[in-house]
Amino acid sequence: MADDTMVAKEGVEQETVDAVKSLGDKYKYGWETDIEMEYAPKGLTEDIVRLISQKNDEPEWMTEWRLSAYRRWLQMEEPDWAMVDYPEINFQDQYYYARPKSMETKPKSLDEVDPKLLATYEKLGIPLKEQMILAGVEGADEVPADGNNSDRKVAVDAVFDSVSVGTTFKKELEQAGVIFCSISEAIREHPELVKKYLGSVVPPTDNFYATLNSAVFSDGSFVYIPPGVRCPMELSTYFRINAENTGQFERTLIIADKEAYVSYLEGCTAPQRDTAQLHAAVVEIVILDDAEVKYSTVQNWYPGDEEGRGGIYNFVTKRADCRGDRSKVMWTQVETGSAVTWKYPSCVLRGDESQGEFYSIAITNNMQQADTGTKMTHLGKNTRSRIVSKGISAGKSNNTYRGLVSMHPKATNSRNYTQCDSLLIGDQCGAHTVPYIEVKNPSSRVEHEATTSKVDDDQMFYCRQRGMDEEEAVALIVNGFAKEVLQALPMEFAMEAQQLVAISLEGSVG
Amino acid sequence: MLKIENLHVKLEAEDKQILKGLSLEVPAGEVHAIMGPNGSGKSTLSYVLSGKDGYEVTDGTATLEGNDLLELEAEERAAAGLFLAFQYPVEIPGVGNMTFLRTAVNAQRKARGEEEMSAAEFLKVIRAKAKDLKIDADMLKRPVNVGFSGGEKKRNEILQMAMLEPKMCILDETDSGLDVDAMKLVSDGVNALRDENRGFLVITHYQRLLDHIVPDVVHIMANGKIIKSGGADLALEVEKNGYADLLETA
Amino acid sequence: MAVAKEKLLARKRDALAARLDGLTLPEGGAWITEARKSALTRLEAMGLPTGRDEYWRFTKPDLLNAATPEPAVVFDHGGEIPVFGQVDRLKIVFVDGVFDPEQSDDLTMEGVEIDRLEDAAKTDIHWAKGIYGTIELAGQTPVERPFAALNTAFATDGVLIRVTGKVSKPISLMYQHADECSDAILHNVVKLEPGAEMTLLENGPAAARFNKCLEVEVADGARFHHIRAQGRDHERQAFTGIFVRQGAESLFKSFTLTANGRLTRNETFIEMKGNDASAHIAGAALGHGDFHHDDTVFITHDAENCESRQVFKKVLQKGAVGTFQGKILVKRGAQKTDGYQKSQSLLLDDDAQFLAKPELEIYADDVACSHGSTSGAIDEDMLFYLRARGVDKGTAMDLLVIAFVAEAIEEIEDESFREEITERLESWLLRRRG
Repeated sequence: MADDTMVAKEGVEQETVDAVKSLGDKYKYGWETDIEMEYAPKGLTEDIVRLISQKNDEPEWMTEWRLSAYRRWLQMEEPDWAMVDYPEINFQDQYYYARPKSMETKPKSLDEVDPKLLATYEKLGIPLKEQMILAGVEGADEVPADGNNSDRKVAVDAVFDSVSVGTTFKKELEQAGVIFCSISEAIREHPELVKKYLGSVVPPTDNFYATLNSAVFSDGSFVYIPPGVRCPMELSTYFRINAENTGQFERTLIIADKEAYVSYLEGCTAPQRDTAQLHAAVVEIVILDDAEVKYSTVQNWYPGDEEGRGGIYNFVTKRADCRGDRSKVMWTQVETGSAVTWKYPSCVLRGDESQGEFYSIAITNNMQQADTGTKMTHLGKNTRSRIVSKGISAGKSNNTYRGLVSMHPKATNSRNYTQCDSLLIGDQCGAHTVPYIEVKNPSSRVEHEATTSKVDDDQMFYCRQRGMDEEEAVALIVNGFAKEVLQALPMEFAMEAQQLVAISLEGSVG
Repeated sequence: MLKIENLHVKLEAEDKQILKGLSLEVPAGEVHAIMGPNGSGKSTLSYVLSGKDGYEVTDGTATLEGNDLLELEAEERAAAGLFLAFQYPVEIPGVGNMTFLRTAVNAQRKARGEEEMSAAEFLKVIRAKAKDLKIDADMLKRPVNVGFSGGEKKRNEILQMAMLEPKMCILDETDSGLDVDAMKLVSDGVNALRDENRGFLVITHYQRLLDHIVPDVVHIMANGKIIKSGGADLALEVEKNGYADLLETA
Repeated sequence: MAVAKEKLLARKRDALAARLDGLTLPEGGAWITEARKSALTRLEAMGLPTGRDEYWRFTKPDLLNAATPEPAVVFDHGGEIPVFGQVDRLKIVFVDGVFDPEQSDDLTMEGVEIDRLEDAAKTDIHWAKGIYGTIELAGQTPVERPFAALNTAFATDGVLIRVTGKVSKPISLMYQHADECSDAILHNVVKLEPGAEMTLLENGPAAARFNKCLEVEVADGARFHHIRAQGRDHERQAFTGIFVRQGAESLFKSFTLTANGRLTRNETFIEMKGNDASAHIAGAALGHGDFHHDDTVFITHDAENCESRQVFKKVLQKGAVGTFQGKILVKRGAQKTDGYQKSQSLLLDDDAQFLAKPELEIYADDVACSHGSTSGAIDEDMLFYLRARGVDKGTAMDLLVIAFVAEAIEEIEDESFREEITERLESWLLRRRG
């Protein structure tokens, strides 16, 4: 098993202390180190950017890449067009680098891993076996997988606060030629790939949050699937924000070379905190000729409490570039968490006959606000896109679908179908639809439909007459409403997502 | 089993009195039929007993085994053993029939403090019962009542009844929209559930259903109350002479 | 304020200063001076639009912003009878935005009171106070409308119509264009008292550049029908604003037929303030060549059990651009709302474009709201089927175009007007084919 266990980061504590010292007097606080965490000083400066780069052992070109993004970021303004409302973020009052000290050495057993982290994994439906692998428990790989589909493996990369804590199944993946590692490792080990593709889908100048991410991302996942390879297992990243006042800025880069295929899963959680925390991730996907990528997300960051205290501000830029002919991408997301969500996983359909799909469930309850959707940019001929969005608003929340479908003049004979449905639970919430449609050639066909309604009284009564209480009935009906999207999820996520729907709507009726 | 006394009910939205002092008792083990012309309040009775919103009880009581039904939420009445076979079963897109039934079965078991039924056991039981009602596997997988024919919907209601094993079953115009074969199938399903511990209240407009489900008592309902009760032959009398005579004498 | 926003606002205000250069507020009585001053104040606060404004992304405002209009050749309609020319009506004619008493009928009719804005503006008190500039102001809340504010501040002509009963025949406003460089601003007000009913007809290009506002108050139980045709004139530039406030159980219906026109921006704002009201807004636009047509429709449901329905159809070719944007806003408490919005375009060749942004913003749960938007080419199978039955291609295309826009025309309640609009459309299509 040895090689398939977690590859933990080695401690560099003394080095970092020295590094900070060398950066000058303004870091008079030095490292704030408590029992679990190691932080860079609060705030953002060029020196912090250099430090993050240094902590990751990055080459000079990478440091410069970050710095130019940082300088650009200083010139930019936070976007305000989304239907979300939150207090101004003080970007100097955040930690931009934190990592769990306990991850410096390899845990010997599950007991040594933060129980919260394990509980999180469990709640997300990661089988016990993989929890053990993730935690690097001795002999974990020889334990038969629970459940009866033991041939169904998922390789996991876990990002804890800013740092990748481990990746499973590395050896098996390597045999297939698949590279699955943390992005920091990829920058060191595969600079030619990173140089070629990083920022080629989401340029460092793309938008305020993406530019911030380009400057300060500390880790994330990197995937390269070589030509003709069908990735032998599903790949997965679990993101976890744990430290207080810490922004998480992970960067994911996925490259599917010609005729390659990969299914990628992403899960996110964060603990309860009274103060809001910032999360600004970037995901870039490059898909070459005849390749296909499926990217599924279950986003369950802490949503804040009933009064709207705390929670994650989730400002994420995700984009797939279907660069090759006949390339395909499918985004599936279940968004139940975060206090504020600002997220538009998009598809650039550049190759002829390329296809983009977007399936989304966004649930908001209490004081949550979500402004999410997608962009389908049709550039190639005979391109296809499909959008299925299901928004569910409860409590005092607001839920907005925002999307763009753009048919460029050369995207002849292309098609888009969009279906946006909103469901309202209670009379204090809001459901909004903001679609942009731009058609610049006549042979392309765009169809957009949207509906807004409430949970049907007759359906509720029918369920209750059969003995279900209101919450159970609502959960059942909402799951039915969102069925089309749930079905697009891989098995591992679908069950968990259904339960999340029920959990997210707790307290929304009665 | 079911005891209704002097029940007065009005429609909240229209402030219109529908039930005007209805009294009725269905002992365990008996099948009672309620017949009556359109608009006599038959469906209202089934909705009020099962706890649908929109009706206001202005007077009277309704109890199931001595428990005040009117105080309970719809799901509590279900857990107490009351089952309504809907005249128009509701379609729930996206929710599989099996998922629906399993959720219902386990919700009721939980409410009664019983253990939940395991997936395997549930599957075994439902397959057997579905077979009796000629419900194929495909119908179990499809979303609840969506795209079902009239007959399929009614058979599905009886399947739910069989799975939930209620104490008191109310069948609201279960015969409506059924052809002869479907009626026979549904009636056989109901008859199979008849036993000494279970009561039935069969609401129907026509006598023909009562050829298949033979009642112990027939009540004639008009203008919000029971105007006459009798044996199974009372239904035949109505079939022959219509409601007009009865309404006049009442 | 963010730096970028400040810069943008400064640009917008500069554009306004250039536009208003040399213009002074017209003289008038107390009621209108108050309304004009208030409009000028809000206009100065917002400035003129730029392409960076959210609701001007699809339509360049330059032609409307310019200090002087681009000249527009007066279109030769040949022997064509003006739209509504054969309808029994009360005719009110404006030439280049100025009331023409010679061509107009006598402004008296039973059940209705008609004043020229120019005359009413001289008085200190008028019933139009409380409507003029007021409903327009309410329409500024969902989205800024600087050209409407400009209109309220600077319009000197138009008609004020107060309807007290059922009017025996339609009132027809005809806007004639005579001067190649005319720049007209007209402001009309219609007030329907409870239970009143009328039909308002509008047609004609009016001027080289035309800024026209119509404010309508539809009181409880009143019914208002509006049908307009915006002519075939190729070079006109137009901004129109319809601002409506509806009472309980009232009906508002508006249909617009547009053909050509260099730039047409039709804004509609409807606020449903009374329960059980109904609003239907529809439009059919045929664009050919240098044509930009923009429908911007905002409907606010602020009462229970109201219904709104929108149907917009555009047929575009040879570089024509059609846009639709709008929002159904359902306020908290506006339960039982039934809102429907449909925008569709037919692109007849490679150069045509359709841009749309149909929004829903909903804060009440017991509602049924939906919208649909489609864009595509003519159905080749249908075309082939018609041709296989012996119909020539041109006729077959026209038939399919008329079939496509028919759903919008269906929104006109009166059958004779539906027929007139359909016939007009057929003749326009025929003329275009030459």
